[in-house]
Amino acid sequence: MKRIFEHPAPSERELNGPKYWRSLDELAATPGFVDQLKREFPQGAAELDGVDRRHFMKIMAASFALGGVGLAGCRRPELNILPFGKSVEGIIPGLPQYYATAMPLRKSAIPLLAETHQGRPTKLEGNPSYLPHGSASSLLAQASILDLYDPDRATAHTKGASVLTSAAVNELLANVGKNYAASQGAGLAFLADQSSSPTRARILKKLRRALPKAIWAEYEPVTDEPPLAAAQAAFGADVKPIYRFAQAKRILSLDADFFHAESGSLYYAREFAKGRRVTKATDPMNRLYVAESAFTLTGSMADHRLRLATSHMLALAAAIGGKALGTDILKPFTEGLEAFVSQKWVDECAQDLVDHKGESLVVAGAHLPPQVHAIAYAINALLGNIGKTIDFVAVEASSAATLSDLAGAVKTGAVKTLVILGGNPVYNAPVDLDWAKLQASVADVIRLGYAADETSALAGTNLASAHYLESWGDARTADGTVVPVQPMILPLFGGITQLEVLARIAGEANPDGYALVSETIAALAGGDAEKAMRRFLHDGLLEGSAFKKVPVSFDQRGAQVLFRDEPKKVEAFSLKNLEVRFVTDHKMDDGRFNNNGWLQECPDPITKISWDNAILVSPKLGKELGIAPQGSALQIARVEENDFSIGKENGRVYELTVGGRKIKGPLHIQPGLSNYTVVVPLGYGRVATGHVGKGAGFNAYPIRTVANQDVATGGTLVDTGTRLLLANTQEHWSMEGRDIVREANFDEYQKNPGYVDDIGTESHSPAIYGAQNTPTNDNKLSREDRAKLNATRAKDIPRGGSMYSTPKFDGQHQWGMSIDLNTCIGCNACVVACQAENNIPIVGKDQVMRGREMHWIRLDRYYSDGKAEGGAFGGEGNREIPEDPQVSLQPVACAQCELAPCEVVCPVNATVHDEEGLNTMAYNRCIGTRYCANNCPYKVRRFNFFDFNLRQLDSLYLGQLGPKGMPELVKMVKNPEVTVRMRGVMEKCTYCVQRIQNGKIQHKVAMAQAGRPGDVVVPDGTIKTACQQVCPVEAIEFGNIDDPTSKVSRAKALEQDYSLLGYLNIRPRTTYLGKLRNPNPKMPDYQALPLSRVEYNSKNHPPSDHGHGAHGHDSHAPAAPKTEKKHSVIDAGKTFGGLS
Amino acid sequence: MSKLFPKSANKLPFQIIIYLGVLVCVATAGVTYYMTPKYTRVGYAPVQPVPFSHAKHVQEVGLDCRYCHSNVDKSAHSNVPTSQTCMNCHNQIKTTSPLLAPIRESAATGKAVPWVWIHKTPDYAYFNHSIHVNRGISCVECHGKINEMDVVTHMQPLSMAFCLECHRHPEAALRDPKDVFNLDSKRLADQGEAGVKQAKALVDNWKVKPPQSCSGCHR
Repeated sequence: MKRIFEHPAPSERELNGPKYWRSLDELAATPGFVDQLKREFPQGAAELDGVDRRHFMKIMAASFALGGVGLAGCRRPELNILPFGKSVEGIIPGLPQYYATAMPLRKSAIPLLAETHQGRPTKLEGNPSYLPHGSASSLLAQASILDLYDPDRATAHTKGASVLTSAAVNELLANVGKNYAASQGAGLAFLADQSSSPTRARILKKLRRALPKAIWAEYEPVTDEPPLAAAQAAFGADVKPIYRFAQAKRILSLDADFFHAESGSLYYAREFAKGRRVTKATDPMNRLYVAESAFTLTGSMADHRLRLATSHMLALAAAIGGKALGTDILKPFTEGLEAFVSQKWVDECAQDLVDHKGESLVVAGAHLPPQVHAIAYAINALLGNIGKTIDFVAVEASSAATLSDLAGAVKTGAVKTLVILGGNPVYNAPVDLDWAKLQASVADVIRLGYAADETSALAGTNLASAHYLESWGDARTADGTVVPVQPMILPLFGGITQLEVLARIAGEANPDGYALVSETIAALAGGDAEKAMRRFLHDGLLEGSAFKKVPVSFDQRGAQVLFRDEPKKVEAFSLKNLEVRFVTDHKMDDGRFNNNGWLQECPDPITKISWDNAILVSPKLGKELGIAPQGSALQIARVEENDFSIGKENGRVYELTVGGRKIKGPLHIQPGLSNYTVVVPLGYGRVATGHVGKGAGFNAYPIRTVANQDVATGGTLVDTGTRLLLANTQEHWSMEGRDIVREANFDEYQKNPGYVDDIGTESHSPAIYGAQNTPTNDNKLSREDRAKLNATRAKDIPRGGSMYSTPKFDGQHQWGMSIDLNTCIGCNACVVACQAENNIPIVGKDQVMRGREMHWIRLDRYYSDGKAEGGAFGGEGNREIPEDPQVSLQPVACAQCELAPCEVVCPVNATVHDEEGLNTMAYNRCIGTRYCANNCPYKVRRFNFFDFNLRQLDSLYLGQLGPKGMPELVKMVKNPEVTVRMRGVMEKCTYCVQRIQNGKIQHKVAMAQAGRPGDVVVPDGTIKTACQQVCPVEAIEFGNIDDPTSKVSRAKALEQDYSLLGYLNIRPRTTYLGKLRNPNPKMPDYQALPLSRVEYNSKNHPPSDHGHGAHGHDSHAPAAPKTEKKHSVIDAGKTFGGLS
Repeated sequence: MSKLFPKSANKLPFQIIIYLGVLVCVATAGVTYYMTPKYTRVGYAPVQPVPFSHAKHVQEVGLDCRYCHSNVDKSAHSNVPTSQTCMNCHNQIKTTSPLLAPIRESAATGKAVPWVWIHKTPDYAYFNHSIHVNRGISCVECHGKINEMDVVTHMQPLSMAFCLECHRHPEAALRDPKDVFNLDSKRLADQGEAGVKQAKALVDNWKVKPPQSCSGCHR
């Protein structure tokens, strides 16, 4: 009871950093507090004065015998309420505040609203004032808030081993400017990451005037904007394209992942979904052609997907361009392409674009050479797309030197002082520059960095950078709109910003971030400076500041300049000559988010691997390398069964050699890759990083050279003989011919919008709502009637003769959700948004490998190739890993079943329904039997196997012996509106019950104060779940299904609405809208039915079985192997088990 | 063979049963009394850093609850006033009182006065003040007659049973909305037949339907 804790004396660094304190005593370090710190309990709480232990036991025994219980022990500890000393304007304790800010990334930014609780930012949302994004934000933006509270971030400015005070830093920076003033900056060089900040540009101009001979270089390891050279040649102007996907009916993507990798991807995804969404049979639907080497999110949405090496993209562009433009000049560039692409594919694709003049769009990936972009521009120009599906805006060409230029200068010894702002060149510079050595050769290196990393290790002076949520700044979105970067909190560790560093070097004595930005905005906005700035901060953007649209006309002559080089013949790749494609990782980006636990644990949207990257190879290449999974191992795309270890992906570690340089990494067989293209995601394998990123993945930068930044050729793979276990969250990739994701082609939908009801088992099983109320009959009603019917059923329904008593749904709302699988692009933003909103812990690679990840919402990704062996459940399923699969994506979270199977098995009533239809979890009741998780058909319940919120991930198994507690910094990110769960309790999606309750309360309070207290039903759209709010494509609708006019009711009344595993009569409140594909019947790879349907039909409706003609879809069934088995209704019900 | 046990041992099983029975009863009674919020919380009246008297400020000065607890009708949390709020008056009166020294210091430095937290719901219970006071539940229901207290004392158990009692029968606890901050007012249900009728009407018109399921308070 009286254990004395010897707290380690705080380090110098901690003393200089910010202080967190729980009481004033702690802040003042009063002797009483220091004494108390050493005790487990406050003085007197655990001992009796003048009584020894023996005596105490005697007394206690006596008092127990008398029936009295230790009184003091029952008292709760004394806690304090600490109100502000001085009132703070606008802060109401208990209510969050929202401020506009933005996350800058390379040359763009995502406008955000930051939610702060008493000055502590906890959650980021998209700023709805910025219309191109709505309230959406990206995966990276959602997770970026965790970086603010990263315990591994730089906490002090250092020079060598000594800590610099902020005064010393100011002096040091001022001296840099002064020392080089005489030489006009000769000998001084800057290396910065790219930025769109107008203020940085303004200070930079000033700096360059003062120090004209200083070198200013910018470097980003990845490019996400089309090369300006192409636009200059094609249009004779410095312009960049802005695509208007919503207007495009036919889209061709040439290796462009415009859902993720391209600048402005959030806007593009959103616009694409607008052209994709179909709510009635007469709606148009866009068609997406994708040619790509890797397998991207964009490719997974394609109606026609062509696997083609990145190096062959020019040939394909030339071929399609030649056909679309009716010219032969591009012919020489297509030579050899016929070996990889059928002429028909090219012709029909081109024809489809030509048939939609002004409504088509060709997009080329930013990493492709200018020639491809020029051809894409030419097609867009000549098909009349410019001004309709694509706009060109004027941008300024960068005047910055490249990293190679800077490296040249360093080599000659011309650089005496090097100031590195952000970035991490030692880690990610092209390997042939040998940057580490060059940087070490500079006498004086000053680095502004966010955390101790590879670059800071080779810098003499390291300045701690402020997080963007601690900084004043500005940025431009991809379309050029100027948005503020506004601090939510004072720099936790005294970090400084790039703007301050540059301003100080430029000679400003006391630069103030706010003033710097305000000066820029005043100049941009004109008028009253103070007013303009206030408005800017209030709106979160500067109205009308977007890049100006410029009319452009295609200049063929100019473009021809790009094609002067002798055309290269299309090179055939092989096992001995592999194409290596470097891609930005979905989560780590270029490595900057490496120490972010939320992102590390979030599975890759396509490979589903978390905590690692892998060398991705095609199934064909896998076979040639001797890896051909068979039997049960096939489903998990792994090696032979006896290689298995704890059921997770057992990757073979291969050595990838390009140009004599080698890297090692685990192999992952990825369906859908170009046969001989090896894809390596960047951003992993950091050597100097924090606790989270350490040991995750392999580093792909060491084989990347200046010339081959995006794609290299001549790669070879050699088995090292070792293995690496990968944490793959979805081993099973096939739907096994089941009706999990229900799909149809657009033409089928147009004829039969209710196609989903013909697919599922519901069409076979006894009617859930009574004999007359089958889904097919329901579909005969008008949508309004269906919505009304749904509203009635939500409250008062025949319960299908259930033997369990069910709760009364008599609340004032009935919550429900609809997820549109047709627009979901699988970006995983919802996964991390949910994690941020609901205090979901990370569990680490080891626990993920045991299937213990805690995400409340997951994205299932299924492949189908139509070759699952038929026979009613008797077939072998897929025999090979598909080379060219179709992808079906499905977000799955707790569906809040009305007849929830989890509830009936809970022995302690810890999971019960509320009156508004939520399946609630009472954490305090839960005793952790996990029966509910076993009985959940969706497998969406998550169990806290450990105290993930209290214990370090590397010492989970030490139990009580391990260190306890999390750093105060880590706790700061928690949402105070949500309970932090402890070990041994079950948890799951709550439909963001905290948002529901607060939404209801705020509405009722507002109505009571407005004199309309009876108005208790929350207006539609007021309450948004975290996943709904973040969704870039607005695939998720949430609201009151008791109101037939609400958006969610209208979505659920659509004919393509279906329940996942609905035949179980669990009546999920979350339902899905079926997926549609829009293939071109003239294309050679046209599939009359989505491949998952082919598999479904061949499994469930073998042609020999004529008993089911009534459902009308047997006619589609392809020739599947004959089988003797006939299945009955009961068979179907039995065999369709839960989800895997 | 001599007797191993004396004859009195025959009574032993019987006695043990009796003793055990008594022990169980005593333990049950003890736990019920001593370990439930009714005992552990009610009566808690800690010493505050400044001996603030609600009785004086409400009854003599005539302050409304919302002068200090200014956000009680807006936020989940009923704010304890900032020291600046206290100084609104106390820069005029009792400017040198030693009892007010912590307030003056706090207002000058901006550091908080460490008031001792009395009415604390558990962390997993998300109580919201604004919805209660805006819909006819007076402060007095949970806090007792604070307006008469010199030293604030915990009056109600604030246990889940206590909350549910009211959530099940809201009409019994409702006040006329204009009386919510009048701690001397009577519940409608205690105002005779007319009051009972009015309470019923309030429940109907305002659609008062306090949550009784877990999600109402636990998130």
